[in-house]
Order: sequence, then C-alpha cells, then structure tokens
Amino acid sequence: MTADLMDPNDWADVTNQIDGEFGDGTTKALLGGQAPIIIQRGESNTIYLIPMDWIGRIEEYEGYNIRSMGVQMGDLSKGRFRFSLQILPALAKITDRVLVVSQKGAETFTYGRSIIKESVVRLGSAMKKGQRVLVLNERLECLGLAALSIDGDRLGRLAKEKLVAKNLVDIGAYVRGA
Amino acid sequence: MSKKHLRQRAKEIAGEYGYLSYMIERYLSLWGEDDTLRFIEACVRPIRTAIRVNTLKTTIGSLVSRLESKNVTLERIPWLEEGFWADFGTGSPGALFEHMLGYYYVQGVPSMTASSVLDPQEGEVVVDMAAAPGGKTTHIAQLMNNSGTVIAIDSDRKRIASLESNIQRCGVANSLVVRGDSRKLSHMGSTPDRIMLDAPCSGEGLIPLEPSRKTSRSMADVRFCATKEDELLEAAVNALAQGGTMVYSTCSIAPEENEYVVDGVLQRHPEMRVVEIPLEFGSPGYVEPYGVGLDSSLSMARRFLPHLHGTEGFFICKLMKEEESA
Repeated sequence: MTADLMDPNDWADVTNQIDGEFGDGTTKALLGGQAPIIIQRGESNTIYLIPMDWIGRIEEYEGYNIRSMGVQMGDLSKGRFRFSLQILPALAKITDRVLVVSQKGAETFTYGRSIIKESVVRLGSAMKKGQRVLVLNERLECLGLAALSIDGDRLGRLAKEKLVAKNLVDIGAYVRGA
Repeated sequence: MSKKHLRQRAKEIAGEYGYLSYMIERYLSLWGEDDTLRFIEACVRPIRTAIRVNTLKTTIGSLVSRLESKNVTLERIPWLEEGFWADFGTGSPGALFEHMLGYYYVQGVPSMTASSVLDPQEGEVVVDMAAAPGGKTTHIAQLMNNSGTVIAIDSDRKRIASLESNIQRCGVANSLVVRGDSRKLSHMGSTPDRIMLDAPCSGEGLIPLEPSRKTSRSMADVRFCATKEDELLEAAVNALAQGGTMVYSTCSIAPEENEYVVDGVLQRHPEMRVVEIPLEFGSPGYVEPYGVGLDSSLSMARRFLPHLHGTEGFFICKLMKEEESA
C-alpha cells in the first residue's frame, strides 16, 4: 500500500459530489489547510486529509506499508465518493443538511436501523428524496449518514411508522466491528 | 529456604491453585510465600474497569456528568487527570453513546499510566512501536492535542483494523499508521523525539483477566519473548533522537522480560539512562531479582502487581538518551 497525492481530476469529482449534496464550498471548508492524499486498498481508494507539512515526508516510511494518515475523509470507488465516519462530525459543523432524531430514534439508528417518521425531531422542508443527510441526536451530536426516502415537505403527511431515511453508516459500526 | 525445599513447596502450591510449577518457584524466590499466596488470591478477584476521558472530543466535567446521569459510578485515579475507575453496573462499558462518540476509551489503568509517563508534547514526533489496538496511540494523540505526528506501527493486519477504528472513533488527526516490523525502525526517515514500546510479551501480568495464563506459557516462552523484547528495545534505542525519551513497558511481571531486558540495554548503551517517573503509583522495579544484581537505577522503574495495587501486572520504565557532547 502506498500513499500518493490525489489526482486533481479525481479531487474535482469528489468536490462536485460533496458540494452538490451539501452546498457550495463544503469541500473547501472540510479541507481547511490540509492536503488530500490517496491510499489504495484493493479496488477502492481511500482519501485522507493530511497537514501540508506531511507531504514531503510520505516517502520517509520506506520498508513499511502505509495504512492511514491524518483524517480519513472517505472512499472513492468507481467514481463514487462515500464519506468515512471520521469526517462526519466536521461536516456536521458546516452543513444544514441534517436530520435530528429522538433518543429512541438515535438508539435504533446506531443499531444499524433506518429512521421512521416517529423518530424525526427536525428535517428541513427543502430537502429532497435521495439526498444524503447527517443524522444528529437532540444534543446535535453526529450519529451517521442516511439517504432520504422522501422529500422533506412530505414529512407531515407520513404515518408514524413510515420510512424517512435509510441508514448508510452510523457510529454503532465502531462497536459492531463493521 | 533451600532450593530443594522451595521446589517442593512450589509444586504443592502450583498443584493446589492450578499453576505451572516454574511460575510459583519464581514467585517464591521473588516475594516469599506470604506474598505469593496474596498474589494468587488477588488473581481470582476481578480487575476494576477503568476509562480514559478523550479530551480531543469532550471535557472531563461534561463526560463525568453525562455518565453519572446514566448511573455509572466514577472514581478518579489519583495520578491520572483523565483516568477514572468506572462501575457500569450490569451495562456494557462499550454500549453507551458516549463510547461510540469517542468520548471515552475503556483502558487498563497501567496502560493509560504508561502513556502519561511518556509525557508526549505538542508538535513532537512520537512512535508507538506496538500500537494495536490503539489505546496508547489515541492517548498519546490526546496528550499532544492532535498536533505533531504519532507514527503507529504494528505488524498484524487484523489488529491494525482495530487500531484504525479506534483512531477514527477518538477523532485522532495526527496519526500515521504503518504495517511492518518495528525492529526496522531505524530504517525509517524519522528520528522520533519519543518512543512508546509496550512490547508484545508473555502476558504473565494478565492472569486476573485470563486465568488460562496460569498454564499456557512455559519458561521457554518467557525466554522467547525476552529475546524479542530485547531486539525491539535495541531498535528503539537506535532510532530515538538524542535527548529523546522513551517508555519500555510490558504486561508481564517476569523480571526476565523487564528489568533484565532494560539492564542489557543499559550495559550496551552508555548513552541510555533510566529516569525518575514523576507520578506516584506502583512499586519500584527490582534491582536484585532472584539474587541477580542489576543496574541500581532500575529501582526508578515501576511495577503494578495485582496483590499490591489491584490491577493487572505491569512494568513501566522511562529511559532517556543523552545528547552527545560536542
């Protein structure tokens, strides 16, 4: 496994995907003063954000297999970017694309389950079906990422047991070993 | 007690409590019969669960208040600012939201003590030579406030997966995880300011947690581990920056894996010296185990022992590499 600076074209694709869903400037804000690098893992590439002064040191670790550096941002596989759990708390600070859930909803979500209407405390009405949203508890702590199954403005018309968002990744994975 | 009498008594005690005889023989030589029996008794008592507050993600006050509201009983560990003994009642320490959110790490008291003894500073380059599953790596990153670099090395692919998971959960941003043989550390371009070597060992200190350890390792295993520990420590000493500091620790109580190994390095490397640990815990390292005279500075190392400190057995030694005079 080797670490390389990210190809600018691939980075542009990632930027388009993130900004398209979470708003213009989101990727730049996540990046801060860091540099994106790629570590290949089989079919997929994992993107990490590292301090700029680490760039010149990538080659120092000869004889060792570099597994990770800095903050894991996500995976890029066949052109599709997926966020890692580690970057989500930072994303939660800079986006309003969030779904706030009740205590009970938070518990079921972190068991890997999806979110139903009765668990929803807050969801913006402008959000659209298929959009990815951060799932927060009532303390506004980030629990993971979900894909909306409905448009936000339809929430009020749903029955309480109806699906609102599908679980994509949640912090329960840390203890489930997923 | 004559050697013959000691062997006979060791055999009797070993038979009664389910230990291998060679172990009891060594304990009798080190501690005498009363303390050996106290040790055996302590090893059947459960070790208290402990947690370390992860100040990269929360504050001590905030977490204490949240856990106490969930009926977790906390008691501060006197020499560790962020360490607490924690009674979760019938609950699992890993099942709470606060754990998943990375607000705390369930960690043995000796392990969190080892990182505190290393005392890493912001902006430094620190190497953790046997890093998985990440308790010390994440603690070191926390003490450095996510600045500088923590190079975490391990050779085991599966254990590295746990290390990476813990790094992410705890919000560590200054780590670099590499897989490989730590004995080749000096081939790496970096010259670490500090090194943590919590060496893979025979685990003789873990009997309270793993009763099978009473019979699972022979004296040959202890010697094998000691050889490997010696190689790792040699590599650490060679890679460490001049003026740099390191911690050598194991979860073994065997002098053969601890004081003997450090004594060997002190003999081969006059530039290395044992330094005082400015935290109050444990008891002094041995300077004459089994009647073998070792470097007297080893009394500045510290031991945790189940019958004296209520923890798993552990050894911690802080060393410094002198700067070459011009």
